Amino acid sequence: MKEFLLSEPIPEGFFAYIENFGKVEALPNLGEGFYKFDKPDWFSIKGFVGDTSVEVRFKKEVMNLTTGFVYLLFTSYREGPADLSQLKRREEAIGKRVREHLYGPD
Amino acid sequence: MIKNQTIIYLNNAATTWPKPPEVLKAARQSLDLPIFGSGRTTGSQGEDYITLAREAVAGLLAADPPEHVIFTQNATDSLNLLIQGFFAGCETGCHVLTTALDHNSVLRPLYELERQGRIRLTVLPFEEGVVHPDTVEAAITPDTRIMVMTHGSNVLGSVQDVSRIGEILRDHGVYFMVDGAQTAGHIPVNLQALPVDAYVFTGHKGLLGIPGTGGFYIRHPEPIAPTRYGGTGTDSFSLFQPLDMPERFEVGTHNYPGLAALAAGVNFIMSTGVPAIAEKAERQTAFLIRELEEEPNITIHNEHPALPIISFNIQGIENDDVGFILARAYGVIARTGLHCAPLVHRVIDGGAGSVRLSLSWFTTDEECRIAARAVREIAKNAYSQVSSS
Repeated sequence: MKEFLLSEPIPEGFFAYIENFGKVEALPNLGEGFYKFDKPDWFSIKGFVGDTSVEVRFKKEVMNLTTGFVYLLFTSYREGPADLSQLKRREEAIGKRVREHLYGPD
Repeated sequence: MIKNQTIIYLNNAATTWPKPPEVLKAARQSLDLPIFGSGRTTGSQGEDYITLAREAVAGLLAADPPEHVIFTQNATDSLNLLIQGFFAGCETGCHVLTTALDHNSVLRPLYELERQGRIRLTVLPFEEGVVHPDTVEAAITPDTRIMVMTHGSNVLGSVQDVSRIGEILRDHGVYFMVDGAQTAGHIPVNLQALPVDAYVFTGHKGLLGIPGTGGFYIRHPEPIAPTRYGGTGTDSFSLFQPLDMPERFEVGTHNYPGLAALAAGVNFIMSTGVPAIAEKAERQTAFLIRELEEEPNITIHNEHPALPIISFNIQGIENDDVGFILARAYGVIARTGLHCAPLVHRVIDGGAGSVRLSLSWFTTDEECRIAARAVREIAKNAYSQVSSS
């Protein structure tokens, strides 16, 4: 488990954005909104809207492959419509290596 | 999320906080002068913190003689010392009893011995939080040599009938080790009256000391071989470990600040009174349980704990997320997961783990109200999520 400290509070839109890459569950009425993102075999992220830190839990066997993608999620987020094509290609490439590492070649 | 908000600490079954001011003062004062340990210095100006702590613990637990109170690093250290020491002099393959309520501090040493082929282990089940004495009696075989069990469950807050179980074991000549990590300081313990052979305690939970101290009381030390050897400040001509008490088990330099703090913690408990501590804990625990029972999607795993420990789950939300929300949104510090007692969870929650709230003498009624409100809010929100999905 790692605590990621962010330079700015997390906007609500961030969790809608990362839902493109995994499953998001929300309890929006708790605090400013509790969100949990889960990308099976990769990592999960949980945190509150308006907070400046999130908790990230990695699957440790492939952590060296997936850590960079967490940073990409945070740094690529912009308000408004997003072009996900580049990030999706990256996700696909990492996903192939994660599957191979965990379950062997296809 | 919580900015400049005072935390509400309800993880006292792990380590109590805050400590009485006297405890912190004693730890600090113990380092104001050099250490004057008996047999280890020509100085004599300082307090003998080891004896102070030994007599304080012996007084609280009615342990006689005080020299049979042994200090270690913590309860786990004590259990390892006792278990390894017992089997150092025991034939291979003998039978051992423990319970599904026990902590890994008991289970791991025993499972390791079983893996090495040195013991045959039986883990006794529990019902409604307790291991029934009849279950213990039924499990005893001619080669049963020892039973190691918790006095108070760190998950369910239930207290075991070690008095009756001890009588049964004594009748069958079975050595009885009791893990009192969760009971010492919380409920009255009278080791003169209890038929136990060894009782383990830790310093940093109910005894209100600081981490790094623990120990055990042993009635008859002979069945337990020393497994640590070294300087004791006594009988130094001998190249073999002294077998007198407490030197049989205590080697090397003691944790003087820790033991000074432990003595102060125990003295605080004695002056407050264990019955008063237990009464307040019972009242606050009952309040929290009543509050949590109001939400239909909260499962409380023991609605009548004898210790200030409440374990629960909220339907529709993982225990780890409940702990996260409590801490971040409400400043309520709990503990989540298996609580180092994995076998309990196989029974109560399918091995998923639970949320645990645990109180201390310093927990206030207002803190209980805030914590109850927070848990209920989470439960209501989780319920609405489940209902709408």
